Amino acid sequence: MSKGFQIVVCIKQVPDPRYLSKITIDPVTKTIRRENVPAVINPLDKNALEEALRIRERFGGKVVAISMGPPQAERVCRDALAMGADEAILLCDKALAGSDTLATAYALSLAIKKLGNFDMVFCGNETVDGSTAQVPPQLAEFLEVPHVTRVRKIISVNGSEMIIERTIEYGYMKVKVKLPAVIAVTKDINEPRLPTVSAILKCYKKEIVKWTASDIGASPQYVGLEGSPTKVTDVFSPEVKRRREIFEGPVDEEIEWLIEKLHESGVI
Amino acid sequence: MTKEWKGIMTFTEQRFGRIEEVSLELLGGARKLAEKSGGDVSTLLIGRDVKNLARELIAYGADKVFIVEHPLLTYYQSDIYARIFADIVQKQKPNIVLVGATSIGMDLAPRVAAKLRTGLSAHVVKLEIGDDGLLRQIVPGFGGNVMAVVTCPEKRPQMATVRPGVLKKLKKDELRKGEIIELEVKVGEEELKARTLEMRIEPPPELPIEKAEIVVAGGWGICDKECFNMLKELAKLLGGAVGGTRPVLDEDLIKEDQMIGQSGKTIAPKVYIGFGISGEMHHVVGILDADTIIAVNIDPKAPIFDFVDYGVVGDAKEILPRLIKKLKEKLEKKRG
Amino acid sequence: MEFKLTPEQEMLRDTAREFAEKEVEPRVEEIERTRKISKDLIKKLFDLGFGGLIIPEEYGGSGAGHLARAIVLEEIAYSCPALAFTLQIVHLGQAPLVFYGSEEQKKKWLPDLAKGKLIASCAVTEPTGGSDVLGIKTFAKKENNEYVISGRKCFITNVHLANIHGVLAKSGEDPRHMTFFMIEGDRPGVKPGREENKMGLHGCNTGELVLDNVRVPVENVVGTEGKGLRVALTAITNVGRMGVAATAVGIMRRCLDEAVKFASQRVLYGQPISKLQAIQWLVSDIYLRYESARLLLHRAAWMIDQGIRADAEVGMVKWAATEGAVECASKLSSVLGGYGIMEEYVAQRLIRDAYVLVPSAGTNEIMRSVISRKAFERVT
Repeated sequence: MSKGFQIVVCIKQVPDPRYLSKITIDPVTKTIRRENVPAVINPLDKNALEEALRIRERFGGKVVAISMGPPQAERVCRDALAMGADEAILLCDKALAGSDTLATAYALSLAIKKLGNFDMVFCGNETVDGSTAQVPPQLAEFLEVPHVTRVRKIISVNGSEMIIERTIEYGYMKVKVKLPAVIAVTKDINEPRLPTVSAILKCYKKEIVKWTASDIGASPQYVGLEGSPTKVTDVFSPEVKRRREIFEGPVDEEIEWLIEKLHESGVI
Repeated sequence: MTKEWKGIMTFTEQRFGRIEEVSLELLGGARKLAEKSGGDVSTLLIGRDVKNLARELIAYGADKVFIVEHPLLTYYQSDIYARIFADIVQKQKPNIVLVGATSIGMDLAPRVAAKLRTGLSAHVVKLEIGDDGLLRQIVPGFGGNVMAVVTCPEKRPQMATVRPGVLKKLKKDELRKGEIIELEVKVGEEELKARTLEMRIEPPPELPIEKAEIVVAGGWGICDKECFNMLKELAKLLGGAVGGTRPVLDEDLIKEDQMIGQSGKTIAPKVYIGFGISGEMHHVVGILDADTIIAVNIDPKAPIFDFVDYGVVGDAKEILPRLIKKLKEKLEKKRG
Repeated sequence: MEFKLTPEQEMLRDTAREFAEKEVEPRVEEIERTRKISKDLIKKLFDLGFGGLIIPEEYGGSGAGHLARAIVLEEIAYSCPALAFTLQIVHLGQAPLVFYGSEEQKKKWLPDLAKGKLIASCAVTEPTGGSDVLGIKTFAKKENNEYVISGRKCFITNVHLANIHGVLAKSGEDPRHMTFFMIEGDRPGVKPGREENKMGLHGCNTGELVLDNVRVPVENVVGTEGKGLRVALTAITNVGRMGVAATAVGIMRRCLDEAVKFASQRVLYGQPISKLQAIQWLVSDIYLRYESARLLLHRAAWMIDQGIRADAEVGMVKWAATEGAVECASKLSSVLGGYGIMEEYVAQRLIRDAYVLVPSAGTNEIMRSVISRKAFERVT
């Protein structure tokens, strides 16, 4: 019987969030142009990896990073190894391209099941490209385990369960979750470590395991464009102009108007 | 077949026995969509001792209110809420399901969509029924730099989470008629694999100005201590950080790391609200990447109004105290 | 021949950049104001392995090499040239042992130097000779199995940070007879002197070192007795000058980004000044200086990693990069207009930091002499 926890961390390669404004839409082909934007590991995935590494440091066990992406996503697998993951797997197959969150969760769940028994699956709460935050709960559904999202703190861990704090608007919830479980973390949970020079040099000497759709036994109708119930039918650039809605009137009306706008802006 | 699926179902989120504003907006939005898509507007309400809220939901547009009550369900419990929600959707077969994009809604909706093996789009900013009868879901991507139109052509229901403030709630009509249906649901402790132990409100932490999601800034127009203290109070109420321009720094009302502008900080909060700030370029360059810019200034010709989403022409000194008073009333009601 | 970083080098660059953004940038204002770099920031450099870049793996370093070192230094210098320079002198202190140390010496000192338990200075310059290195007066008199060393060094960076000093001393009648010693800081007679105040690189410690009849065993001789000049010059060329150049390259990239940012935002005559040819030309001058210095830097670093003698090439980049940094900082100030001379803007600090690099590790006049030597000797 192995000591410690078997932990999986889902990671994704995304456009560098600092340069998202450089992403444009080609008006003719309606495709998204992101050549000018460097790709990085999704920032919250680093928090997820960091938390997994800390648990391994405390309790022992193994951390395996999994990414579903194109061949260049190999770089984030290396980033994970350099940070300290024991293994990294790239799930790479043309058949998986165009997957929405449901198809992605399905594919990831098969890959995780192929790995064998697991105690925890850590994910970043959302990615900077789609920002849907949908994959972790959907992944948990396919894995038939409980999930918790927006986790900002792990209060305690024992062999079979975990108590966590998750953020809600204006406060938090304390949740006791039975393991195995999917845990989606926010940036408040920790400060991810930087890899050392030695770790960087060594991570390029390790092998990245590559799996295809058939390696994980994925049914073609549940992955890729075919397996995605949601379809993107159009993309466009948002109106960059400011609304410039100006209101002038009696003070009480101005206050009401202002409060309405604060609500629409998500402040209250 | 997709034709079997009719009507729109929303999820009503309640916390501490009070209905979340977004849930009422969902009903208003659903009613509007239903004009074109047809069918009933129903809503699901789960909790403990929440029956009394059903009337309000009908008054805001629900034709049917499905209620599930159980002592174990006072707080949001992801496993059971998801199971109940998926079950009722499968029985009622709504064409469209809408959930508020809140910390709870975003936790619940994806799991339900996965249970139903259907499509879900996240934090839509606009919803409309297309000419083909499909729900057109407009969502932001890449930090809002790209907008996408998403549809769910084959699977049912078509699901979407909607940001608060996007849809408009209807005027409350106490005379509206609707059905209240109490559902008997078996709920067992052993099902609670992710068990909410408690839910708490807490004051937001003090953040440096460039990390804050909401920034409230003051300028020349409210450059005295009394006024600025009101600005600070407003910031506290809204859970935002305080910023300012050079004149305010010179008066020692803010510290250097709170100054916004070319020789100060550049910020990109979700919302920036400026009071008594004229909008000189060297300040404005520090806020151009804010998602929403709101300003209050007494001069209708102030340059800041060229850069705002929402502007109010008025005396910040008058508006601030009354705004604070009104907000306090609203927020005390909400937070309980 | 690929003009691309390898994947490892890219990851190293990204990591150094993230370190600079997260850990260094927030402290720059304080470092500039207090003229002090905190010990815990230095420790972070070592914890990440930036201290052991040129020390081989078998001696506790990462063996990453000189190109990796150039990349890391550029990234740190982008945020804080003073910290980058401090780090580069840390490497300089290790260099004599790395290039000329005996097996015993390497085993004895390099692991601790890689970890930061030991930090070494490299003390060569004196009031009587810097460019004219033969003019130094520090003398090491042999007595049985010891040397007794007396003298005074100046312009020694990290002298107060170091707990061991690499010292070049005269050791014979012939002015060229010099020996290089490692002298532990706790030996009686080792006295770090007053701190010298530079006009820039604030936070980087530079000062005098006084040696008052310090007794040093023969085991502390690096290389061969009498052949110490070669030890010092190899270290200064391959590590010291390269570090100066890398710091300058980081400054130039900062100038480029600041100029672009300002010009894109500043509106005059109804449009951003980035639309004006005058500004565009200033920015392109900065870009050219940066790119050409960086390419020279990487080429020289590659040569050193290959074990190819690169005196002239190192001289070229040290000269081009430091003069380039002064020019870029000055042109950045021009782009900023009146704001360029204001203390709150970064241009004035970059100007002062760049200026300090000009005479460091050898004046640019010496660099031209070194370069011309090869110009006249080269075959192809």
